[in-house]
Amino acid sequence: MDEFDSQRRKFQKELSSGTVSLALLAVLGGAAEPMYGYQIAKRLEREGEGVLSGKQSALYPVLRNLGAAGLLDSHVEPSVTGPPRRYYRITEAGRQVLREWVAAWRATRDSVDSVLQGLDL
Amino acid sequence: MNATTIDAGSSNERAAADAGLPRSIPEYLERLRAALAGADPALVQDALYDAEEYLRSELAENPGRSEAEVIASVAGSYGAPDEVAEIYRDTEVKVQTALRPPAPKPRKSLLGRFFGVAAEPRTYAALFYMLLSLATGIFYFTWVTTGLSVSMGLMVLIVGLPLLILFLGSVRVLALVEGRLVEAMLGERMPRRPLYSQRGRPLLERIKDMFTDPRTWGTLLYMLLMLPLGTVYFTVAVTGLSISLSLIFFPLLRLIGIGTVQFDGYDVFAAWEPWSWPAAVLAGVVVLFLTMHIARLVGQIHGQLAKHLLVRSAQYG
Repeated sequence: MDEFDSQRRKFQKELSSGTVSLALLAVLGGAAEPMYGYQIAKRLEREGEGVLSGKQSALYPVLRNLGAAGLLDSHVEPSVTGPPRRYYRITEAGRQVLREWVAAWRATRDSVDSVLQGLDL
Repeated sequence: MNATTIDAGSSNERAAADAGLPRSIPEYLERLRAALAGADPALVQDALYDAEEYLRSELAENPGRSEAEVIASVAGSYGAPDEVAEIYRDTEVKVQTALRPPAPKPRKSLLGRFFGVAAEPRTYAALFYMLLSLATGIFYFTWVTTGLSVSMGLMVLIVGLPLLILFLGSVRVLALVEGRLVEAMLGERMPRRPLYSQRGRPLLERIKDMFTDPRTWGTLLYMLLMLPLGTVYFTVAVTGLSISLSLIFFPLLRLIGIGTVQFDGYDVFAAWEPWSWPAAVLAGVVVLFLTMHIARLVGQIHGQLAKHLLVRSAQYG
């Protein structure tokens, strides 16, 4: 039982490491205004549960790397509750990449679905 | 289905970590810092900053709960300090390798290594940094000497102290800007966030922190050093580039007829017969590539220097 459990968690971790960038970019692509790390984490917690099988702390390094790759734009604003917050917004390059990622994701999903079709378990 | 994963994960952790879960946010950060001991200081700073943002935001969302309760609830979603440390060490490596363009294959032969430097974008960035460092060096040096002498001079009057505090604040902002420059051009990882020391402490404490923070003094030293260093970098880059480029283009200029130096009506380069032109071009190419290698070397050494003086590594040691 434990063996299966660890296999499932390993698989989930692998899945999420591949899709979390897409999910983050999609959240910011659909956001009307810039969002900061905690907001994005909570948003994913509410809606994108499957994407994030691990801890939410894993989001921050991904956000930062998306920013370093020029897909996200960020600025710092002071906040009353804690440290100044870094707000992220999707860039034009980010939108283009997102379009391609979405296409790639749909293609992958369809092909996996078609392989799984008719699978009798 | 994911809820079960989180539960499964957190119940294990709860058993293991319940005895030792931190009770307050500073304690959590201290624990995280300890767990990240030995990691890249810039990564440590990012991790602490992110954790603090999350914890304080969570605390603000749940006004009725104490810090200890919030931390206990967050251990499942954000992670306990040890797990967070693990994730940062892990994700940083993974995501960076995933998102960065693949590095060019290291060239094997000696000749390949010598000329391969031209194919690396970092070389040109380092060269540009060397040229730029004269300007930034002069600016930093002027800023520091003016700021220090004006505020010290006015210390007899009361205005000197607030001026000094303002000046030190500005130095920290400049340290951040320089950090971004160094990271962009020399590729040395530097902090991406303004250093945020414990919010919630009284203003006077925070001002005191600024004076006791080794990074403040390290930054001052770095800025003073930037004048001589910047001058040397600039000179080396300009000399290397002008010698090599003029040697490379020498034959072309000769053909057009502008590559001459007249001295007392005698053409200094008249002795440079056409047969020696290929040799001049070859020498120019060698000098150009030597300059590129020097730029890479300077970039690496300067990156280390900036990192040690600008990032507060002593604290995370």
